[in-house]
Amino acid sequence: MALLMTIGVLSAPNVSATQAEDINSFTLENGMKIMVLEDSSIPNANMYIFWKVGSRNEVPGITGISHFFEHMMFNGSKKFGPKMFDRTMEAAGGANNAYTSEDLTVYTDWFPANGLETIFDLEADRIANLDINPEMVESERGVVQSERTTGLENSNWRTIQEALKSVAFAAHPYSWSVIGYESDIAAWTLEDLQQYHKTYYAPNNALVVITGDVKLAEVKALANQYFAPIPAQAPPKAVRTIEPPQNGERRVFVKKESVSTPNIMLAYHVPATSHADYYALDLLSSMLSQGNSSRFYQALVDKQLAVAAETYMPMSFDPNLFYILGVANAGVSAETLEQALIEQINLIATQGVTQQELEKVKNIKLMDFYRTMETINGKANTLGTYELYFGDYAKLFNAPDAYNQVTPADIQRVAQTYLIKANRTVGVLAATEESDK
Amino acid sequence: MKTITHTRMTISLSAIALACSLSISGCATSQKTSVDTVAASPGLVTASFTMPSYQSVTLDNGLNVNLMVQKEVPLVTIDAVVRAGAVNDVTSGMAYITSQSLMLGAAGQSKADIEQQLDFMGASIDTNADLEGSYIRANMMSKDVDTVLNIFSHILRQPDFDSAEFDKLKQRETVGLSQQKESPRAVIGRYFNKLVFGTHPYANPVSGNSDTIAKLSVEELRAFHKGYYQPSNMTINVVGDFDVADMTAKLNKAFGDWQTSETVVQPDLSQNLPTLTQPHVLLVDKPDAIETTFLIGGVGIRYDNPDYVGLTVVNTILGGRFTSWLNDELRVNAGLTYGARSGFSPYAQSGVFQISTFTKSSTTKEAIDLALKTYARLWEKGIDQTTLDSAKAYVKGQFPPKYETSGQLAGLLSDMYLYGFNDDFINQFQAKVDGLTLAETQRLIKQYFPQQNLQFVLIGNAEKIADIAAQYGEVTKVDITATGFGQ
Repeated sequence: MALLMTIGVLSAPNVSATQAEDINSFTLENGMKIMVLEDSSIPNANMYIFWKVGSRNEVPGITGISHFFEHMMFNGSKKFGPKMFDRTMEAAGGANNAYTSEDLTVYTDWFPANGLETIFDLEADRIANLDINPEMVESERGVVQSERTTGLENSNWRTIQEALKSVAFAAHPYSWSVIGYESDIAAWTLEDLQQYHKTYYAPNNALVVITGDVKLAEVKALANQYFAPIPAQAPPKAVRTIEPPQNGERRVFVKKESVSTPNIMLAYHVPATSHADYYALDLLSSMLSQGNSSRFYQALVDKQLAVAAETYMPMSFDPNLFYILGVANAGVSAETLEQALIEQINLIATQGVTQQELEKVKNIKLMDFYRTMETINGKANTLGTYELYFGDYAKLFNAPDAYNQVTPADIQRVAQTYLIKANRTVGVLAATEESDK
Repeated sequence: MKTITHTRMTISLSAIALACSLSISGCATSQKTSVDTVAASPGLVTASFTMPSYQSVTLDNGLNVNLMVQKEVPLVTIDAVVRAGAVNDVTSGMAYITSQSLMLGAAGQSKADIEQQLDFMGASIDTNADLEGSYIRANMMSKDVDTVLNIFSHILRQPDFDSAEFDKLKQRETVGLSQQKESPRAVIGRYFNKLVFGTHPYANPVSGNSDTIAKLSVEELRAFHKGYYQPSNMTINVVGDFDVADMTAKLNKAFGDWQTSETVVQPDLSQNLPTLTQPHVLLVDKPDAIETTFLIGGVGIRYDNPDYVGLTVVNTILGGRFTSWLNDELRVNAGLTYGARSGFSPYAQSGVFQISTFTKSSTTKEAIDLALKTYARLWEKGIDQTTLDSAKAYVKGQFPPKYETSGQLAGLLSDMYLYGFNDDFINQFQAKVDGLTLAETQRLIKQYFPQQNLQFVLIGNAEKIADIAAQYGEVTKVDITATGFGQ
């Protein structure tokens, strides 16, 4: 019954909700693809520029440079010199930010719709004519060092994840954190940065998504005026390293004195987002941790073993990790919590899941989909993300159907395939390490 | 939200209600570089943004409900906001724990049953409290309104306060408090309010502390619920994809027979507000800290202050956007921090003003001094026309996205109820920004930004920063693991 209800909603979407045919896209001669979604719900618009470069494209010695470079993109170019990018944008009523992941660097501009041309002007200038100033590099090092420090100070997740990734990956660049090693942050050179810009910030390595109170014709005209003259470049070299199979459990311990109860992170290697098992794994993730009826809440939090238990599976170009983090309740040892988490995973592998439980997480996913589509920023970010990780933005609108096709047998199969001991890395974060016995 | 990616954005150290949507971060240059602020283009007129239409309906029992239709996605948000928060606490944490306990079972249905039902629809009900309000928020697909509204009304009107579940909740909350103290950013605001407000109810930490939570009883929660969760002391806001007449009938059915039975007693929060007569420093020792997290400030403004909008603009220049003076000096020019900002957090009868940032332990003094020096520019140099014009364009341009989703709009309606403002807040915002003059900014700076007797909270390694702390006022030192949030 629930399945029918869900499908009913999908087949008769609300007339006002965004649909795949509302998206327009065109590609400039230099290879830059631009997607446009007209949406006049508020008098604002945004521009998201996705660059296909992240910590995945780094090598030892320059770890963290993708993220550092993201900062440098705000530090002056030919027409808009030092500080002028932000000052010009803010004077036009706009704001901006950016983020870097293992796979992507994404620049986000949020502005009143009538500031669209200013945004094109600003972005085109820094794409074509970035001027990397040595003094700015030094100042920005301090900023990124502070960002790294404040992350480690305030986030146990970040602290343990950094150590765990370095153990879970033996070869692939997902081994290091996006922010990079402290010594690399201190060491990269002007030449490293210049080379990075030249290699990756070519229009044919970018995807632009514009949503909001704009018109397609206007966007086309501005894109032709500002972005089209920027020349294409040879595509960057592909990332060649393939992580070798893991053939046995790995472990890492991290000591932090102020941690009041142990944190356990488990990570299992899983395929890239483009793999057919993505949807089953994503639903499995929700079954474990989303909502108080989830398996982790029921078996761990409600039973007073943990105060929190989460899962996370990033979208990813290459095979990556399925993360689980548990935070122990008072008096619960790291070992007890670890075993309790593993027991829940093994239960799915051995006994499977019910149809009812699966329908529940499908409904949660559908709700998440609508929430994403409620804002112009949610739309822009998600359209770009789907276009890049699934190869086609239309997959976003097919996602509810793709989730609907997953069966209980699929869930059990992916648990049996990926969430096994030999494929696992265990991280423990605690105030004290147990001494040798 | 997990911090998986790295952004230019800093996370605010405290709720800074006046600050517009901020992107604090990323652009650096040397101190030698001289750059003028860019003037807002005179031809750039921000499109007008007005309050979306909604209907206010009074149910048979006098309960006020607001209904705003938004059809972009087939979702509905239902908010109930109750005029009861930490300022009403008899035992610290009572309002908050009461709000959390609403979800422990209702009208004979167990906590697990309710959660299973909600999750199955992809729906959610979240409860919370802050200083002056308690909140119940339901999110659902439009097709599930009947079922969710039924649960919502049970949770609001007939919570069971199951004692076994309550004991488990208290235990989780107590451990949770220890974990919050692992992150200075998560707790520093509570220390600051205690430092500024002392014995006034605005000093009450919404979370309570480990001792007071242990003491709370089910009977106290029942009494708190009975005293405050009543039709005359709340409002319900519905925003999303629904039919107004149909929803009104549903709400009448769910709540129309609910009668106010108690006289609601509210504290007089206008009494005994603090007068800060000397600078104080609260040094919170976290021995393994690798950076110092700090707030500097004092008493701020009330929510209904007629100068609220003007102060938003002035604060934008000081510490409310990426190119703000504080972020420009501490981050961009000096590279001392990932972000620095400032803002007013207004309450019904008072508020706080705070400058917030963080830096590595070894640059603590440098960062505090630079923050104070930058703050002093408000009085020493003031604001120029170009900077004012830019800030005005910025706050107008960033205003509409704050009220885009059903949840944001329901939250706005809740704030209107709690803090006593109306549609003019949205509809006159732009005109008020446009009308702000340089002369007015001078008056606002003089009248509202605390200049003397500043209060400081520093969370860091006391062994490394105690001598620095002593340079800014009388120091009180507490251990971060000590119960509560200051003396």
